This record gives sequence, structure tokens and C-alpha cells, in this order.
Amino acid sequence: MNKTKNAAFAYSYLLPSAILTLVLGIYPIAWAFRYMFYNYKGYGAARFTGLDNFTRIMHDTQFWDSVVNTFVYAGGKLLLSIPLSLLLAAILNRRIKGRQLLRAVFFMPTVISTAVMAVVFFTIFNSYNGILNQFLIKFNMSSSGIDWLGPKHAMLTVILVAVWGAVGNYMLLFLAGLQNIPEDVYESSSLDGANKIQQFRFITLPMLGPVLQMVIMLAIINALKGYESIMVLTEGGPAGKTEVMFLYLYKLFFPVGGSSASTQVQEFGYGSAVAFVSALIVGMISVIYFYASRRMNRID
Amino acid sequence: MRTKEITGKTVLWIFLLAFAFVTLIPVVITILGSFKTNMELTSGATFLPGKWQFSNYGEAWDKANFSTYTLNSLIVSLSTVAGTLLVASMAAYVVDRMDFFGKKIYIGIQSFTMFVAVGAVVLRPQFDLMVKLHLHSSLWGVILILISAHASIFFILLSFMKGIPRELDEAARIDGSSLGRTFWTIILPLLGPGLGVGALFTFRGAWNEYLLPLVFTMTKPELQTLTVGLANLKYGISAASQTHYMMAGACLSILPILVAYVFANKSFMQMTAGSLKG
Repeated sequence: MNKTKNAAFAYSYLLPSAILTLVLGIYPIAWAFRYMFYNYKGYGAARFTGLDNFTRIMHDTQFWDSVVNTFVYAGGKLLLSIPLSLLLAAILNRRIKGRQLLRAVFFMPTVISTAVMAVVFFTIFNSYNGILNQFLIKFNMSSSGIDWLGPKHAMLTVILVAVWGAVGNYMLLFLAGLQNIPEDVYESSSLDGANKIQQFRFITLPMLGPVLQMVIMLAIINALKGYESIMVLTEGGPAGKTEVMFLYLYKLFFPVGGSSASTQVQEFGYGSAVAFVSALIVGMISVIYFYASRRMNRID
Repeated sequence: MRTKEITGKTVLWIFLLAFAFVTLIPVVITILGSFKTNMELTSGATFLPGKWQFSNYGEAWDKANFSTYTLNSLIVSLSTVAGTLLVASMAAYVVDRMDFFGKKIYIGIQSFTMFVAVGAVVLRPQFDLMVKLHLHSSLWGVILILISAHASIFFILLSFMKGIPRELDEAARIDGSSLGRTFWTIILPLLGPGLGVGALFTFRGAWNEYLLPLVFTMTKPELQTLTVGLANLKYGISAASQTHYMMAGACLSILPILVAYVFANKSFMQMTAGSLKG
């Protein structure tokens, strides 16, 4: 008797969480999974079309361009942010003056909204009257400014903004990993005459292996899925130059974004299929990376 | 040897200070820019404002509707914090303290939702659900969806819950306290630090959320939050003439979270670092 009473209590306290999770977390995923086999534009009846959506994806050059852009964006972001954050963590793990303050400063971008910062970066990088170009012109470093958000440099600008927002986060994760390496390993190696660079190469990097593997994994997934700042900064433009996979996907579900109301129509069925393929791509990359990086998990 | 050491230190500090400069400068530009005239922002390259335009804030507050946006942001963030903590702490209590059928399934589902974030895709069905519930043209839809994503807070609270000795529950039970009463009067107050960290994280997430409020306010501009209202200024027809509003608005949305960060810096750092260890 007491047992049933206890169970009833347990379920009643679990109920709000369980209902919210099922209705707003699990059901939407199932919804998308179903509609990827349908032609459904958000109104009227949904028509079952089997694998037609997937055939269409194969020929959707716009989508595959966005996939390429996603890889360029993610690659650039990773190549810049991972070494930089690792270096900063290694430095700030030492007993140097003001390290608490510097840690706090470097971590700060993480607490600010990406959308808000994208607005700020827009006013800074804006080609026509952006703050940066005004500065470059005034100090004669450029005659007419650089077209930061133009076709040539837009991707680079978008990557730089992403790096600005990401370095502090990864630095902190690396710092946590570094704190697990015992101090005396360094001491005994410096008695053996190892210098700082050798120590970093032969002690820090190998001992940090598992953490490094996990942080890079997180970074890859985040970079492949991130699109909020690009959405505000360039809307995927100019001419699709910064259109990434998940931004393309978003536009299929919510075609009206900002002022440049695109000519696209709502395509829920097709969008769900694109979502599935995109998620598959992210999943595949993660698995490939996981197997390729297994060696990092071994401390020897 | 001695000069080499000094050179090394100098290079190190130049690197650190340069990176600190790059990190801080966009925020400094925003804060200083919020006191400049529009002319000054778009034509000159002054660092400090020529004449401090404190009126920017008043105008942004009235003319660019930032009073409404701020109120909406506060409603969304505070409701989400309250709802998330309530729902997640109740679940964490029974999961940690009791045994019942389906516990493993529940934990499995919570970790699944944490790792399978499908972004734009689930937004659409979520929106349709809210249309059916007639909540799509109010902020409650946004709040409910934000509360539903409480998996990470649940796991944080669960780990804090494990630190509260079970002897307390025992003692309370012997004294005749019901399970519910034990939770509200004994466990919850002791969960204070965990709730604090959870509140901080949830507030940061809700205050900075962009996509959800954007989608839910597409037809109702008066419901926009700070992030949405601000980003929309960028799209505005006369965007070029409103840069000073944009800067003032950006400050209004950055400063509260920055102040919270400065005060809670330590727990912010510890929790983010701690999340690595699982």
C-alpha cells in the first residue's frame, strides 16, 4: 500500500517534466521524421510521395553549395579557435599575474547573445559606413575600405565573428582538463632539462588527449550546426556565399526572414527531408572524427 | 639567458594583451557608441564620443520601443527561470530519492533530448502545437518551449541533490513529514547553490534566445524581445540612420547579463569547467 502511494507521489512530481519533454521535445522530432516522406507546404493536405524529397535533394545545388559553405565555415572556425584557445589555456594555467581577470575577460563573449553581437559586428564590418572601414580610411591604411561583407570576404568575416564568440568557451574546457595534470610531472621533466615547448609537446598534449578529443568533437558539432550569427550578420548572402546548411534549412520552414523576404515558399515536407540529411551529415562527420581520433583517448 | 627570459615574457604579455584587446573592443565600441550621435558613428572614426549623448537611451527607450522589448525579455527570462527550476528540481528529487518503474527510461529520454538538438526543424511543429493551444500569439508559447528544454538543468540539479545527505529525509520521515513536505521545507532550501547555478544558466539562455521569440512574434511586433527587436532594427528601412539606437539597444541587452556575469563569475567558471567531468 505504502509502495503504491510512493510511486504515485513519484509520478506526480515527474509529470510536469515528462509531459513537457514528450510534447515539446520528442513529438516535434517524430513530426519531422514523418513529413520527410510527404509533399506538404503547410496548408492543404499532405501527400505521401515516398522518397521523392530525397531525389530532389540529390539535385538541389543550392543545398549542396550550403553544405560546402558549412565545411568551409566549420573548418575555418576550428582551425583558428582550437589552437588559440589551447594556447590561452596553457598560458593561463600557469601562475601568472592577473590570470583570473584574463580568464574572465576571455570568457566574456560566451555570456553575450550571438544575435546581439552579430548586430554589433554588422555595424563594425559594414562595408559602406562601418566603423572598421571608417577607421582604416582615417588612418590611411586603406583608401576606400574593405568590402568585409562583400562576396570576397564575407565568409572570412563570418568566421572571425564565430571565433570571437567561441575561443573563451573552449579555453575554459581546456583549463579544466589541464588542472587534472599533476604538477610534479612538469617539475621532474624540468629537472631533466626539458624546456617549456618540449613540456607542452610531450606532456601537456598527450595528457590532455581525451579532453582535446571531446572539445574538438563539441566544436565540430557546434560549428556544423551554428547559423544564428550568420543569419543576423549576412542572411546567408551575398549571393549565397555564406549560406550554411542549417540556415538553408531554416529558410525552408520560415521563408520570411528580415527585410529580404525571399521568394522561397514554405516546404515542410522537403524541409524535413533536408533536416534529416543535414543531421545525417553532422552525425557521419562526428562518427568519422570519433574513429579517426581514437588514438587521442589513449594516454601513454 | 636573462635577456631571453625577458623577451619571452614580453612576447607572452603582448600576445595576452592583444587578445584581451580584441575580445573587449567590440563591447567597448558598443558602450561608447551608444553615447555618440548617429553622424559621429557613421562618418567619423572617433574613439570617445565628442559629446556624450545620454539622450540616446531615452529615445531608444521610447521611439525604438526598447521599453516594451525589455519588459518582454524580462517576462520571458524570469518565467523561464522559475518554470525550469520548479519542473527540474521536482523531477531531480524523485529520481534521486525514489525507485519507480520507468526511471531509467525517463533519464534516457532526458539525455536524448540534450544531445539531439535539431534546431530549426522542431521549431515548426512546436509552433503548430502552440497554434492549436492558442498560445502562438503570446509569449507563453516561447516560455513553455524554453521550459521544456530543461534536461541540462535537471542533470545539474541531480548532481547537487546527490550531495544532500539522505539521513535528513529519514529523520523527516520519522518525524512524520510527508514526502512532499520534506521536499519543499528541507530539500529545496538546501539545494540553494544548485538552484543558483541553474538560474544563472537558464537566465542566460532565455535572455539571449533569438530564434524562438523571432518566430513567435513575426506577426506581433509588440511581443518582441530585446534580441529580436534589436536585430530587426538592422533590417529597418532606414537602418543607416538608426545606428545609435542599435548601439544603445545592444547595451540594454548586454549590460544586465554582463553584470550578472561579473557577480557570478566564479560559479559560472566552475560550472562550465565542471560540465566537462560529467
